[in-house]
Amino acid sequence: MTSALGRVVATERKPNTPHEFHFWTALDSPVGIGTIVRVDGTQPIEGQIPRIYGIVVEGFSYTDLQTPMHDVLGHDGSPSDAGYALTERAEIRLYTAAVLRQIPEEPLQPVPMGQVFLAEEPDVQIALRMDTYLREGANTGIPIGVYRAGGTEATVYLDADFLLGPEAAHLNITGVSGLATKTSAVEWLLSSLFTHFPEEKGSIAAVCFNVKGPDLCYLDQPGRVEDSDRKLYEKLGVKPEPFEKVQYFAPYTAKGFTLNTLRSNPALMHNVNALTWGLREVLQYAEVLLNRDDVDAKADALIDFIREQVLDKQFDDPLLTRTHTVQSFADLDAWFREVLRGLEQKDDQSWRTHHVATIRKVRNRLSNISTRCAGLVTDFGEVSDLPFGEFEDRTVYVVDVANLEEDAQDLIFARIVSKLREHLERRDLGVKHLVVFVDELNKYAPSDGLDNYVRKMLLDISERGRYLGLVLFSAQQFRSQVHRRVVGNSSTSVFGRMDSDELATPGYATLSPATRTKLATLDKGQLMIRHPHFTQPIFVRFPRPSVMQGREGAEKFPAAREGSLDAAVFRALRQLDPDITLNWVQDATALYTEQEVLKARNATLLAKPKDVRAFFLSQFRRIIPAQQAHERPVVAAIKGLPLDDPYGF
Amino acid sequence: MIGSRNSGPDLSSRAALTFLKSEFPDISVSDAPAVVLERPAAADPPRLSAVELIEHKKFSSVPLVAEPAANRTSGFGGFLDGAQKVQVLAYPKGVPIVLGTVSAGIRCRVERRLITWKERDPAVERKLYLPLAFLGGTRLASSERFEVVDTSADREGAGVDAHPLGLVDRAMQLVQENRESLENRFAEDWCDTEGTPLFIDGGISGSARVATSGLAVGVIKSHRTLYLEDSALPTLFALKKGERSSVFRVSARSRRTVASWYLRIRSAAGQDPLWGLVRIEIADSPDAVSRVDEISRWVLAESSPLSLPDGRWDKMAYGIRDAEEFLRAIS
Repeated sequence: MTSALGRVVATERKPNTPHEFHFWTALDSPVGIGTIVRVDGTQPIEGQIPRIYGIVVEGFSYTDLQTPMHDVLGHDGSPSDAGYALTERAEIRLYTAAVLRQIPEEPLQPVPMGQVFLAEEPDVQIALRMDTYLREGANTGIPIGVYRAGGTEATVYLDADFLLGPEAAHLNITGVSGLATKTSAVEWLLSSLFTHFPEEKGSIAAVCFNVKGPDLCYLDQPGRVEDSDRKLYEKLGVKPEPFEKVQYFAPYTAKGFTLNTLRSNPALMHNVNALTWGLREVLQYAEVLLNRDDVDAKADALIDFIREQVLDKQFDDPLLTRTHTVQSFADLDAWFREVLRGLEQKDDQSWRTHHVATIRKVRNRLSNISTRCAGLVTDFGEVSDLPFGEFEDRTVYVVDVANLEEDAQDLIFARIVSKLREHLERRDLGVKHLVVFVDELNKYAPSDGLDNYVRKMLLDISERGRYLGLVLFSAQQFRSQVHRRVVGNSSTSVFGRMDSDELATPGYATLSPATRTKLATLDKGQLMIRHPHFTQPIFVRFPRPSVMQGREGAEKFPAAREGSLDAAVFRALRQLDPDITLNWVQDATALYTEQEVLKARNATLLAKPKDVRAFFLSQFRRIIPAQQAHERPVVAAIKGLPLDDPYGF
Repeated sequence: MIGSRNSGPDLSSRAALTFLKSEFPDISVSDAPAVVLERPAAADPPRLSAVELIEHKKFSSVPLVAEPAANRTSGFGGFLDGAQKVQVLAYPKGVPIVLGTVSAGIRCRVERRLITWKERDPAVERKLYLPLAFLGGTRLASSERFEVVDTSADREGAGVDAHPLGLVDRAMQLVQENRESLENRFAEDWCDTEGTPLFIDGGISGSARVATSGLAVGVIKSHRTLYLEDSALPTLFALKKGERSSVFRVSARSRRTVASWYLRIRSAAGQDPLWGLVRIEIADSPDAVSRVDEISRWVLAESSPLSLPDGRWDKMAYGIRDAEEFLRAIS
C-alpha cells in the first residue's frame, strides 16, 4: 500500500459535498489535473469504511502572503532580490476533486475527512466502474488508452456494449487540426476494437471515408512505432501492426484514366478498387445532388416517374418512335431527347401530366450529374461498388473522397451509408457490426444551415443505428458547430487538444477552468474521454497508430501521375496480369476511341478474369482492319462482236 | 487586561468544564463561552537598566557591511517559539477558573522551507489553574486530560487574596512560567543535539544550558526594559537600518548573564524610535564580541520575507511567524 499523498480538508466556506471534495498535498506530490485519487474514510458507515474515488478538476496554490503589496515591500520593489530570501513562505497545494464513485454507494453522503492516496490500477478500475464490464467471462472492455499519474499506469477500457450497442453507441472526436489527433485516435481505436471486440458478439468491420489528404491511405502499411509506444501497445494488449485486411475504393478522375486517390502508386494498387456508379445507383439518391430550392414537387414527381416507370424497363409510348430501355445516362438522355422532340412535333405543352418546362428542367439537372460527378458516375452504366453482402470480419473499407467535388462526396456518402443500413436491416451485409467513420462532421451535419439529405441520414444513424449494429465514429474540429442530436447521441466523446475559442462555448461550461486549460494544451497522443460509465472525463494516453501516417506514405509511395490513356490502362491491367506490356496495350487499343478503351478496362477490372488479355480484347467491337485493295487481275477480253451483228444489243 | 468572548465554548473548554463539574459537583459553572485573556501588555513598567559594556568604552553604533541580496546568508537552522492562551471559563462564587494552554515547537529550515523539527515533537499542554482553597477543597484533583495547578498561594507559598483579578493574574503568571519552561526544554534539546544555531523568540537567560550554549541566539522584540543609560539613548535611537550597538552584558537575578546588543533591522524613519529594533542575546563567552557582526547579519537576513500581517512585523523574523502560525494551528 502506498503512503498517503494528501488529506481531505473542508471549511464552512469551502465544504465537501457528495460530488466534490478538497484536499491538500505536499508541494512535490505528483498530483495534477486529471489525477485519480482515493480517499479512505475513518468512520465506518453501516459497518463499512467508506472509500471515495475522485478526479482532480481544479488546483490552487497560495502562500501565507496576505496581499501582493507585502511581498513588494519585503523586497523593496526589487524582484531580483526576492529570489534570495533565505526562507520560502509557507505554501499550499490545494486541490478540488470531483467524485467518480463512492463505496458504499448508499447512503450518498458528503465526502468525509480522511487520507488521500494516489489511485492504483485496481482503484482506477473501481473508480471508473470498469469492474462491472471487465468480469471474467463477461468482458466487454475495449482498451482506449492508458491513464498515467505518479507511478500509476492503468488501462482505461470502454464498454463495447456502450460503444457499439445495444446499450448505447457511437463515438465523437473533437480536436484541432494538424495534430493528427482525430485520425490517429480513430486508427488506434479501430485496431483496439478489432483486437478486443468479443468474438461472441459477432463480426465487425469498418467503413472509413477519407475526406482529406492521404490520412487514411496507408492503413495496411507499417508505421514507425517508438519504444514508448511499443510499451503502450503491450500494456493495452494490441499488436503494433498495420491492419491486416484493408480495401480501398475511389472513383476515377474526370478524365477517367486513373483513380482519383493519393493511393495510386503501382506498388499499392492491389487492394484499390474503382468506385463507379451508373444511372440506377445515382437516381435513387438524386435528391442528394439536386438543389431543393430548384427542384419542386413537380420535378420530384417526374424523377419518381422515371425511377419507377422508365429505369431498367422497356418503355413504350405513342409519343416515342421506338422502345427505350434506359440503363445509363446516355440512354436517359436519348429518352429525354425523344420525349421533347415528340412534344415539339405535336406542339404540346405536357406529357403524362408533366409540363414540358419541368421535363426540360429535370433533363438538365440529371444530365448535369454525370458531368458534376465525372469519374464516379459513368454515362454507360458500369458499376463498381463496395462488396455489400460480402463484407468481411475485421476489415477496413476505405472510401477515398478526398479529391472529389462536394456533390460527389455527398452522393457517395449518402448512397454507401444508405446501402449499409439496408443490408444491416436485412442482416445480410456480411458482418454483424459496422463502424462508419466520418471526419469533418462540421460540414456534413452542421448545427445550422439548411436541412439536407446527408445531415438527415447522419441524424438517423445516430438515433437509430445502434439497433442495427451501424455505429458512427465521427470527428470534427468544432463540436459546437455540429448538430446537437448527432453529438448528443454519441455515448462516447473523445477530445484532443482543443481550440480555446471552442472551449469558450457553452458546451464546455461543465468542465472546470483547469480542465479546459489542460484540454487546450494537450500533447499529441493525449485524449480526454467521456463514456457512460465514467462520471467525469478521464485523461488517457494512446499509442501512435502502427500504420503509416499520411504524410510519410505520400512521400514513400508518391501518387501516380495521370499520364496517357495507354499508360493508365497498362497500369490497371498489370495488377491483374503482370505479363501485360505497354506495347501490347497500345496495339490492342489503337483502333478504338478513348471511351471504348476505358469501358473495356473498367469491365476487365470489375470481372477480374483469368485470361485478362482475352477478356479485355473481347470488350471491343470487331473492326476489320482496312487493307490495301489488290489490283484486279486483268481478264483477257473475249473477242468483240461485229458491229453489224443483228443479235447483238 | 484585554478580554474577548468567543461564540461558544471550544472543545478543550467544554472538556475542562465537564471535568470541573465531575470534580466539584457542588459548584455551579455554566456553559457560557470562555473569556480569552491576552498576555498582560504592561506586566513590567518601562524602565532603563544600566549595563556593563563589553565592547567599546562608550555605547556606540557599529555599521554592518551591507551585503547584496544574493550574498546574504544565515546560519540559523531552526526557529523556536512558544505560545500561550489563557481562558477564564467561569467565576463560581466569584472565583476565576482559568484554563491555560501553552505550546512550543521548533521549525527547521530544510532547503529554504520550514518544517517541524523531527527530534522533538511540538508540545501542547493544557492546565486548569484553580484557587482550590477558595473552591472549598484543598485536594489537587487530576485527570488524564487535565493537570490542576493551585493558584491559592503565591511563589513563596504564602496565601493570596480572594480578589478575582489577583487570582487571574496569578494564573497568568503561572501560565507564562509554564510556557517559558516549555520553550527552554526545546532550546536545551536543540543545543544538546544539533549543530547549527537556533533562533529563539525571546531571551536565552532563563536556562543555564541555553544561556551558555554557542548555538542559542535569542532575539527580543519587546523593549519594556532598555539596557542602557540615559546618555546612550540618542545613540540607540539614531541606529540606522543595518547598524548595531556596542555589546553589553545583561545580568538579572534568577537569570544567567548573557551578552547582548541592539540591532536595527528596518529603517525607523517616520516611525517610533523602537521601530525595527531588536535586542539579541548570546552566551557571554570570551568570543562573544567576535560573533556579533556575523549573527547580526544573520538576523538581518531573516527579515525577509516579511512577517505581515503580524502587527510586530517590523521586528519579527519570518521563521518565528511561521512557528507562531504552526502553534496556533495545533493548539
